[in-house]
Amino acid sequence: MAAFLRIKGFFNKLFGKKRSRVGIYGPPNAGKTTLANRIVRDVTGEALGPASEIPHETRRARRKEGVEISAGAGSKLMIDIVDTPGVTTKIDYHEFLEYGMDQDEAVARAREATEGVAEAMHWLREDIDGVIYVLDSTQDPFMHVNIMMIGIIESRKLPVIIVANKIDLPDAAPQRIKSAFPQHPVVEISGLEGNNMDALYSKIAEVFR
Amino acid sequence: MPHKCTKCGREFRDGSVEILRGCPSCGGKKFLYVSDRVRNEDVLAEKSIEKIAEETKQEVLEVQKPASRPTDILGRVESVRIVGKGSYELNLERLADTQDIIIGMGNDGKYMLDLNSMSKKRSSQKKR
Repeated sequence: MAAFLRIKGFFNKLFGKKRSRVGIYGPPNAGKTTLANRIVRDVTGEALGPASEIPHETRRARRKEGVEISAGAGSKLMIDIVDTPGVTTKIDYHEFLEYGMDQDEAVARAREATEGVAEAMHWLREDIDGVIYVLDSTQDPFMHVNIMMIGIIESRKLPVIIVANKIDLPDAAPQRIKSAFPQHPVVEISGLEGNNMDALYSKIAEVFR
Repeated sequence: MPHKCTKCGREFRDGSVEILRGCPSCGGKKFLYVSDRVRNEDVLAEKSIEKIAEETKQEVLEVQKPASRPTDILGRVESVRIVGKGSYELNLERLADTQDIIIGMGNDGKYMLDLNSMSKKRSSQKKR
């Protein structure tokens, strides 16, 4: 394996070494939690949180500190991974009803998701040093929320890697994502299958150094 | 076959996209698709377009106001708007730009301000 990963969080905490905090952002159901779990599982065998097909499964930012990314040739980087709720401009409880929730549960989920998105956007202002922006390769990358988010990330002058996720699906078209955001590095992966993760680790070590 | 504005009778060629923004002459939003047979009836027989529509049983098309787009929230002052129970609109740019929390309530100009979040901002600015 070209890249290998391990944890050194304890020593870094002990000596107060500054680490880059990398936020995993993207629209709902792009595979952010699956990717975060993949990265953390490669290191520790643990998971960061549950992923599901229901939008807004992640409603609070989850963090894993001290993940050491190694990309061969002695290139290493210690980062904190932050998995964030799916970013969107509208949240309505009706979208949860079709997943079999009752109304009270769906309304509560909508409120929690809204708080989670607000929190994730506040974090972007001062607590995040770099962004992995995850997109579903089977979806249209020109969605308004993506254009807006990339604009916000650029205005904050944060380094960004765009991940074209779900390339294991037959209708994946990662080339569309490359065409949509030619100004940023795009890495094609499958967080679920673990395809091409080495390329992502190399890019993380290069961009967030 | 052309369309005619039901208000002023102005004619537009078939497939004209001009009418999507309303009639440029009178601002009318309703248009009738007229066949060549009745195309000049409004002038020659002095019939109103509505009358022609009645006679030909052709449906009058109305240009719909475009649905409000998410960009409309950009100019708004609030960071989150509560549209109704369990329904929210988020102003991502504002959430990323400021610590102030301003909640919009419905569409009738009611707002809730979190004064605590605003005073926090001032104290953090002082530190800088």
